Amino acid sequence: MNPAGVRARAQLLRAIRAWFADHGYLEVPTATLVPSPAMEEFLFPIAAGSGFLRTSPEFALKRVIAAGLPRIYEIGPCFRDREVGPWHATEFTMLEWYRAGAALSDLMDEVEAIVAIAAHAIDAKPPGPWRRVTVRTLFEEATGVDLAVASATDISSAEEGWDDAFFRRWVTDVEPGITQPTLVYDWPASQAALARIRDDGEWPVACRFEAYVGGVELANAFLELTDATEQRRRFASANMARAMAGEPPHPVDDAFVQAVGHMPRTAGIAMGLDRLIAALSGWESIAPGRVD
Amino acid sequence: MYQTADIRKGLKVEIDGKPYTVVEFQFVKPGKGQAFTRTKLKNLINGNVLDRTFKSGESLAEADVEDFQMQFLYADDEAYHCMNMETYDQVAVQKKTVGDAAKWLVEEMMVDVLFYKGNPVTVQLANFVELEITYCEPGMKGNTAQGATKPATVSTGAQVNVPLFVENGTWIKIDTRTGDYVERVKK
Repeated sequence: MNPAGVRARAQLLRAIRAWFADHGYLEVPTATLVPSPAMEEFLFPIAAGSGFLRTSPEFALKRVIAAGLPRIYEIGPCFRDREVGPWHATEFTMLEWYRAGAALSDLMDEVEAIVAIAAHAIDAKPPGPWRRVTVRTLFEEATGVDLAVASATDISSAEEGWDDAFFRRWVTDVEPGITQPTLVYDWPASQAALARIRDDGEWPVACRFEAYVGGVELANAFLELTDATEQRRRFASANMARAMAGEPPHPVDDAFVQAVGHMPRTAGIAMGLDRLIAALSGWESIAPGRVD
Repeated sequence: MYQTADIRKGLKVEIDGKPYTVVEFQFVKPGKGQAFTRTKLKNLINGNVLDRTFKSGESLAEADVEDFQMQFLYADDEAYHCMNMETYDQVAVQKKTVGDAAKWLVEEMMVDVLFYKGNPVTVQLANFVELEITYCEPGMKGNTAQGATKPATVSTGAQVNVPLFVENGTWIKIDTRTGDYVERVKK
């Protein structure tokens, strides 16, 4: 923590709330203590009382979207166990927003706008120009491997599954080269999480993008899944993978699964605010902007 | 065996049958994937640096390495000979493994000798050594230009740049990592 970091955080929060108000978004505080904290295999929630601390406000906010509020956002604490490092903290501040009727490209525009106003709010240089590029192109530029046709052994010599091979090369050889502000889209379909999958091109892709600034992953966006049956199947498949790894299953949130089936076409995004402040300020970690 | 959670700067690990030390590490967790630890590893024998990424839960082999403080005795054509001052054991370290820092070695200097699987593989000098200047041009009176330097030869025969005011016969402190002059010392 340093006083300048704490001040930067306050200025940034004020500017972001003003931006959302100006753009017709409703701030919706949802519960931090929840019955079902996550769906994904590699999220490790913290148990608390009769439930869990949320790993993101996603399930609650989607119920609000399904209930007919088309533009909503939340800023608040989220908790992920086993994530500690210069760019991770078990408790961190998430900015998450959902916009009914939007395409991923609309959210890309909004990310660029919000990062620019956040930079302005803390007297940092607004990052740019932005690059928008597919995972496949970026991966091939860095490694020479074409993901659309590559097997796990083409990607990494370690004996492991396709996704582990992908991420090993991603964190070793691709991510360190993302120095320009970048929006990376069309992720492998096996990494869809709660996003729609599109299979009308050369390989199936998840309708997702991640935003990078200063080499740091700041945000993850989905064109949201709105099929309750598919949502239930993904819960089951993530829980199967967790069981194989000796991890407890995530409780399935029935109210959420039903709400997914009533959602209009929606794009949603989660952005790490500790990272946004640190990346814009040029810090080596998220620590100076936090009071731990 | 070490786990990824044990990774720290200075940890000695064996990769592909060679000993390495961790010089940098970072926890990374892609949004939708496994956590990894990204590392930079330095080969303890030849100094080459390697980038390696370990998946959470992967294990790393411990490198069988040990450090001993020893006194440098003398050099011959092939090796540097050093003695353990407690046991009086003498070892010969192949010259090719010592590298550039060898130019600062003087007899009776204390050095770290690294053993890998029981064999001496490198000699590591202290970060700073003190050596006598055996030759340099005389300092010019009145020349007070900031940062101006001149070449000087020290007792090992190596050259170092020193400020203009430094005289023949002066003892100086040298940073063996960079080869830079640090300051004059009294002897």
